[in-house]
Amino acid sequence: MAELDAEPPTTVEIDTQVDPSGAQIVTLRGELDSSNATSLVAAVASITAQRPQRLIFDLTGLSFMDSAGIAVLINTTRKTSVSLRNPSPIIRRVLGATGLADVLPIES
Amino acid sequence: MSSRAVSMGTAGYRDGSTGEPATAEDVVSAIAPDGSARRWSPSRAACLTLAIGLLVTAALALTSLGLYNRNEDRLLGLRARQLGLVLTAAVTSTQTPLASAAELADATGGSPQKFHAFIDSYVGPGRQFASVSLWPLGTSHLAPVVVAGSTPALAALPAQAHALFARGEHTRLLNVTGILGTANPGLGYEFTTPGIRHGFAVYAESPLPKDRRSKLSSDSAFSDLNYALYLGHTRRAGELLVTNIRRFPIGGRQASDVVPFGDTAFTLVVTPNGSLGGTFFESLPWIICGGGVLLTLAAALLTDRLARRRRYAEQLVDVLDRVAAENRDMYTEQRSIAQTLQHALLPDELPELSGMEVGARYVPAASGIDVGGDWYDIVDAGDQQVLVMIGDVSGHGLRAATAMASLRHAALAYAAQDHGPASVLARLSDFVNGDPHEHFATMLCALIDVRAHRLTVASAGHMAPLLIDDAGSDGQFVEITANVPIGVVRNSPYEEVTVSVQPHTTLIAFTDGLVERRGEIIDTGLARLQATATGQRLPLEDLLSMLAHGLASEGHHDDTAIVGIRWQS
Repeated sequence: MAELDAEPPTTVEIDTQVDPSGAQIVTLRGELDSSNATSLVAAVASITAQRPQRLIFDLTGLSFMDSAGIAVLINTTRKTSVSLRNPSPIIRRVLGATGLADVLPIES
Repeated sequence: MSSRAVSMGTAGYRDGSTGEPATAEDVVSAIAPDGSARRWSPSRAACLTLAIGLLVTAALALTSLGLYNRNEDRLLGLRARQLGLVLTAAVTSTQTPLASAAELADATGGSPQKFHAFIDSYVGPGRQFASVSLWPLGTSHLAPVVVAGSTPALAALPAQAHALFARGEHTRLLNVTGILGTANPGLGYEFTTPGIRHGFAVYAESPLPKDRRSKLSSDSAFSDLNYALYLGHTRRAGELLVTNIRRFPIGGRQASDVVPFGDTAFTLVVTPNGSLGGTFFESLPWIICGGGVLLTLAAALLTDRLARRRRYAEQLVDVLDRVAAENRDMYTEQRSIAQTLQHALLPDELPELSGMEVGARYVPAASGIDVGGDWYDIVDAGDQQVLVMIGDVSGHGLRAATAMASLRHAALAYAAQDHGPASVLARLSDFVNGDPHEHFATMLCALIDVRAHRLTVASAGHMAPLLIDDAGSDGQFVEITANVPIGVVRNSPYEEVTVSVQPHTTLIAFTDGLVERRGEIIDTGLARLQATATGQRLPLEDLLSMLAHGLASEGHHDDTAIVGIRWQS
């Protein structure tokens, strides 16, 4: 799981907005890995500081997520209720294989 | 003391082992172009620019000067001819009244009344002649019979008078005496109507300025010229009639013209009184010189600056190359340090087990300097039991490695207390949960009963191991539920399954680096592993080497641990 940082940098775009129901939506696009996970840590920290009821990670545009990215999502569950929106089959399978389907539920 | 210890433990290896890494900023500041310590010396290109610029300037200035001189010479020649034309007209206006008077005198037998009536308007101060007189020819005593104006100087010079009038009878021209007198110099000339025997000669004198000096009035069309007028065809000083030039002989730019005057001529010499073509053209060579020198200096300075910038850029490139090389060395060194550290965190050697063959590989990522979080352990649990543990801490770096080390040692401790796989994972989960370093770990724990050919496996979010049959032709993943990884939820239940295996079965446990590829679902990677590992029956070490080599050859991004166990019966 130790992604190393001498590779060409990957990019992840992070957008945050509030959904009409009051849930915080964090939209991720690109690839989330150990080279850029800290930017998501910072973005999530500023959101959870406002103690939202619910936080939804919209993964529609995310093509890859490694263990460092998953760790950020898991740590967010310690602060608020987290669910995932529309993860790709690849990511869905990784979450299933690592026993995280219950910890990081996918929106129905 | 404690801060010293921290420094040695974390960053110390980096600083201590690489000596003094030169950063680009350090070296660049040393060669900065504005460093006052550096002595300024002009670049070769700037000197060349200066030399070429000055040469071009000089050539242009000389060309311009040559053109100016040629133009001035041409203009002066034109002006001399123009002045000559004016003189020619003046000569004609001198000859005409004298010729008319001679004709009148011949017709009237030298009537004084008629002569005076005709000629008086030409004579007197400010008029054309100072004196005009009528001389009968063919007499022994040569003397004027009628005089208008002052007494002619020629009357006192009988020898010259004879010579003059003797010459006059044979020419149709005005005959000129030359300059007469010194106190009141004048010029005398006579006209005799040719073909009349013993007729009358008309003789006139015009005064010359005493010192021969005369100014042209400033509104004259020729005020841009200085002139000297000589009698005759040459410029003899004694024949100088009138001039406004102060210094003789005449030097500098000059032009001359010869104007016929009776039986002799006037020689006109002119010099320019300033620049005829205008002051701009006169100063053009100097303007070119000044402008050219200024432009050349500016160009040389610019060239020098560009040359120094280029030199600076070249030095910068050298420096950057050096820094890049140092960084490469540093990277290689740190990568090697990371790998050394990684190996220090893994078992030194695997236990010798009766009835089991064991092997393991650790393949670092193709690049990068961080310590990975993958680990494995194979422990002889006694009584023909072997505990296999393999895991992967999320993230990388020293924190991940530290988390991995503590997890690994805790797992060994729990295993030593005879806990089964699921129990070990559950206790680890409680031990680690709330780790402030925000790592989680996937882990597989398998207890192998060698004699019973039995395998009890539990997974904390870890990939199931592959079981390969004795022929090496069939491989199946153990069917287990992947429970939640360690470090995610406290008091999480872990399930374990027990499966029986055939003799000579091989178990391959691995971390996700072996099967996970970007843009690919892991089932594809699992199927690839299944196919690769089951093509043929290989010795265990060869099988492990083949799997590790396949990874290394594709430049994988993730550290990977592989453990293999084979029943020898």
